[in-house]
Amino acid sequence: MQLSKIKKDGKFRVTQVNPANECVCRLMSLGLLPGQEIRLTHEAPLRDPIAVCFEGCHMSVRRCDAAEVEVEAI
Amino acid sequence: MPESKMRYRVALIGNPNTGKTSLFNALTGLKQRVGNYSGVTVEKKVGEWVLDEKQTVELIDLPGTYSLSAKSIDERITVDILGGHAAGQAVPDLVVVVVDVENLQRNLYLASQVADLDVPMVIALNCWDVAERKGLKIDCALLQQRLGVPVVPTVANRRRGTSELSAAALSALEARPKMVRPSWPEPVKKCLEQLRINLVEQNGEKLKEGELMRLLFDHQSAVAERLHTPSHETESIIKTAREQLRFGGFNPDAAESLLRYRFLNPLLMDIIERQAHLKKRSRSEGIDQILLHRFWGLSVFVGMMYVVFQAVYSWAGPFMALIEGATEWLQNFAAGLLTSTPTLQSLVVDGIIGGVGAFVIFLPQILILFLFIALLEESGYMSRAAFLMDKLFQWCGLNGKSFVPLLSSYACAIPGIMATRTIGDPKTRMITILIAPLMSCSARLPVYLLLIGAFVEPVYGPSVAGATLFAMHFVGVLVAAPLAWALNKTLNRGRPPHPFIMELPPYRVPRFRSLLLRIHESGKDFVVRAGTVIFAMTVVIWALLYFPRPAGIEQEVIANYQAERAGILDSKPEAVEELSRRVDAAYLEQSYMGRFGKLVQPVFAPAGYDWKITVGVIASFPAREVIISTLGIIYALGGEVDEESKDLRQAFANARWESGPRRGEPVFNLAVALSLMVFFALCMQCGATVAIIAKELNWTWALSSFFGLTAIAWAAAVAVYQITFQLI
Repeated sequence: MQLSKIKKDGKFRVTQVNPANECVCRLMSLGLLPGQEIRLTHEAPLRDPIAVCFEGCHMSVRRCDAAEVEVEAI
Repeated sequence: MPESKMRYRVALIGNPNTGKTSLFNALTGLKQRVGNYSGVTVEKKVGEWVLDEKQTVELIDLPGTYSLSAKSIDERITVDILGGHAAGQAVPDLVVVVVDVENLQRNLYLASQVADLDVPMVIALNCWDVAERKGLKIDCALLQQRLGVPVVPTVANRRRGTSELSAAALSALEARPKMVRPSWPEPVKKCLEQLRINLVEQNGEKLKEGELMRLLFDHQSAVAERLHTPSHETESIIKTAREQLRFGGFNPDAAESLLRYRFLNPLLMDIIERQAHLKKRSRSEGIDQILLHRFWGLSVFVGMMYVVFQAVYSWAGPFMALIEGATEWLQNFAAGLLTSTPTLQSLVVDGIIGGVGAFVIFLPQILILFLFIALLEESGYMSRAAFLMDKLFQWCGLNGKSFVPLLSSYACAIPGIMATRTIGDPKTRMITILIAPLMSCSARLPVYLLLIGAFVEPVYGPSVAGATLFAMHFVGVLVAAPLAWALNKTLNRGRPPHPFIMELPPYRVPRFRSLLLRIHESGKDFVVRAGTVIFAMTVVIWALLYFPRPAGIEQEVIANYQAERAGILDSKPEAVEELSRRVDAAYLEQSYMGRFGKLVQPVFAPAGYDWKITVGVIASFPAREVIISTLGIIYALGGEVDEESKDLRQAFANARWESGPRRGEPVFNLAVALSLMVFFALCMQCGATVAIIAKELNWTWALSSFFGLTAIAWAAAVAVYQITFQLI
């Protein structure tokens, strides 16, 4: 499942990232690597961007970039 | 000075939101100076850090960054400083890495990148108190042992741990401890060696291993721009090395993150002890449930902005009255002393004292506005605002990060334009810079206040006046949005949208001390930069309005006056005053500025301006806030008037067209007031802004934006006047 599609309830684990996307590449240097747990905390009023939380870090990510991260429910 | 050459230099580095600035302030106190890095305009803060009674070092506050992957200007500066490539500056003797205890792993990622640049290091574990409160326990001694560098717990915003940090720095300057570095796998080593041979040995480049890593790991690293090897050659060398790395089984874009975290994870094993009662959802997340809510979040946001502007409108009043009173007293005092020399008297009273008063009067409003901006930033709300607003900016190629510089531009475009440096993408940054002068800066406020006070408030009451003021702050945005869209369409043609990620830091209660420091800085900044310009302009404009003072005009006016009164020269005080006012008006009309205003008045006629308003508008091109003192002089009230001046409002009400088809009709009405406000809202009447755009981009952009915005402002002012005139 793409990170851009996850719902607020539930926890997810990163399975795959696309480092060719510059945003994802930056998220990786912040620790968003395969195996990392992640959850959705907020959606902006116009549904984009979304706020995700991993390793105690809250980041705002646009949906188009979040689509480049694959996750699975845990 | 031999002393400063001997002095040690220490660099302070850390992720954003780790309290790095608080630590810098705690270590240096007020002994700091702000400048720019040579060549670029990234703000450079340098302070004096007293380690003990014998040793004082120079502390350099580097821009906050998550990693050294030199993609933004900030990151490139950081790499250049740490590598010793900044113009005329050697490698720092020590680097203090500020690490947020709560995000140890992510923060140590940066420390590990710094370690590869081979600079001695001390780590400050900041926010120790927050971690303790949350039940996090860190084994400092073990961490220190594993990393190989001193680790000192600090609470920067309470100034705790600073003496321990000073002691650690003092001994580290002797011992030069270096953080443990990862042992890279064979393919990485090979590629780095290949780069070293090609660039360092064959082309004589000065590159440390850490810098070679930047070239290898970062897609289009900015480090490459610094090399003197021809760029096509550099590109092909780097491309070959990256291909080789891929061939060795590592994706060059992903390799660094994967390998560094693989190295850091075991180092942090058993270091962090989370206690059982650690809450799953933090307090910040709870607050965000409301502040980032689809409906409530936006309501709070709009409400907050409204409060800010109403506060600036009303809270500053008493302070401004005080300044006004003081200026007036000083002018009367000086006028009394200099009655024997009328030219000098006019220069001192109208030019000099009026000039100082003209910018000091802004201070209350600027300080209140900066207080609010500081509160928003320090509390962590600023990035929430960017999160809420991001989608609104996306369509025109900007992002939520443009929000902060643009909001800052509401106080003053100069810090706002400087704040765009946090925007990584140069084109996004350029568009933000070009539309920043359209945000209604505080220098426009007096013009709004004067005209609203004179034409809106008396007729429609204070609440409509407040609403008009609020609306005026959005006029610029209405023009800025389509302008940004058009610029994006032309500048970014064929480029993919720029990546945008942003941290939502935990909410913090702003520290009184740091708010005070920021207000002090902004006030000082305004007085030094804008104040001097305004002062100089006031004096120059005084001269243009005072000279050439042709002889004979006074006699001519008196003769006319006598003729009107059938030869009787009244000696009543009212008559004498009226006569002197007429003499002044005649002198003004004959002055250089008066002549020029009359010359260009036809251009502004469609906007409803007579020559006096035109002179005021022309005179305020170097700095828009001088319009009020100019109008004061034009209406023979002296340059010391301000937007609260009743005399000036009265003069507006009395002003009549002196010639042309509308002779005898009042010059000012609601249409002229609105047209004038719109002109001021859109026009780039600020020499300092033109200069800063030239510095951040180049003179071509600075001049195009100056002429472009003037044309837009003129067109809008004409449109507003014509439409309103039909309606009223």
